[in-house]
Amino acid sequence: MRWGLLVAACSFRCVKRQLSFPQQWATFARAWYLLDARMQPPGKIAAVTAVRLEGRHKPIYHALSDCGDHVVIINTRHIAFSGNKWEQKVYSSHSGYPGGFKQVTATQLHMKDPTAIVKLTIYRMLPKNLQRRTMMQRLHLFPDDVIPEDIQKNLVEELPQPRAVPKRLDEYTPEEIAAFPMVWTPLFAGNRRLTHYGQIHNIKVDH
Amino acid sequence: MVLLSAPRWLRNRLTDRFWRVQEVLKYARHFRGRKNRCYKLAVRSVRRAFVKSTKARREKKRFLRALWITRIEAASLEHGLKYPAFISNLLKSQVELNRKMIADLAIYEPKTFKSLAALAQRRRQEGFLAALGDGKEPEGIFSRIVHHY
Repeated sequence: MRWGLLVAACSFRCVKRQLSFPQQWATFARAWYLLDARMQPPGKIAAVTAVRLEGRHKPIYHALSDCGDHVVIINTRHIAFSGNKWEQKVYSSHSGYPGGFKQVTATQLHMKDPTAIVKLTIYRMLPKNLQRRTMMQRLHLFPDDVIPEDIQKNLVEELPQPRAVPKRLDEYTPEEIAAFPMVWTPLFAGNRRLTHYGQIHNIKVDH
Repeated sequence: MVLLSAPRWLRNRLTDRFWRVQEVLKYARHFRGRKNRCYKLAVRSVRRAFVKSTKARREKKRFLRALWITRIEAASLEHGLKYPAFISNLLKSQVELNRKMIADLAIYEPKTFKSLAALAQRRRQEGFLAALGDGKEPEGIFSRIVHHY
């Protein structure tokens, strides 16, 4: 993508100069990106989104030039924390009043508001300056697949998901399971069964 | 005190106070509050502004280098390479462009930057082959260092 010309044009004051390269319009235009958060860890989603919101994915990036893009995240209800974070991760807040300290687990927060986890993660990953609020206004979160029409019309590109979603065992077809190579013969195939005290008995099946 | 003669009545009085004050105020015109108008407040602010500007000349070099690095990282990710891989492989191919020039190329000469990224990627693959591969020489080798002496 040609980033060059508008940046150059802005830096000239009144100097008349013969420009030999063609005009590149919409260098600083804002693009709308779509990201599906199904089965994705919210941290990785937030890392990709924060980069796009700041504009760090563009070679013309400058903190003051307001070059961030819009990001629409769908299926935030179906994000997937790794490990035991659903029970162990705690989101704390204080209302400002005495006795107003609240601590809520990730599960409880997610039940209350399915977009809150992703929103907080992105908010905390953005740079802590006055532009953060503007960048958050360019973030659009939806708990499910449903997007309003006017936002859907603006979407330009879908970003690839940061985590490769593994297939469950029941999503594999029987042919694929049969075609998978057997590295070693398992201990309990066929008639060999493990009985108590770990003894393996060949149990005869009476027909 | 009793001044006994006419010459004693004439003192040296300052006549260009206005211009001396303007010399300072002209640097304070874009400040906020009374320090853009009132000389006493402006003198302090202007002096601090000059001191900060002097000290910031060293910081500016750091800031600009960080900006170039951010821009090069963005451009090289567009071509599928991360910044450390890009820079290290470019250096290994003896392309001694500094970050300022590479950032400018990324903005104004995208095709040149694309070829630089391709060069870095090719040098990277050759490095992997040299480390992990058979020891056979690939065709059109980029990783041999050219000595100019």
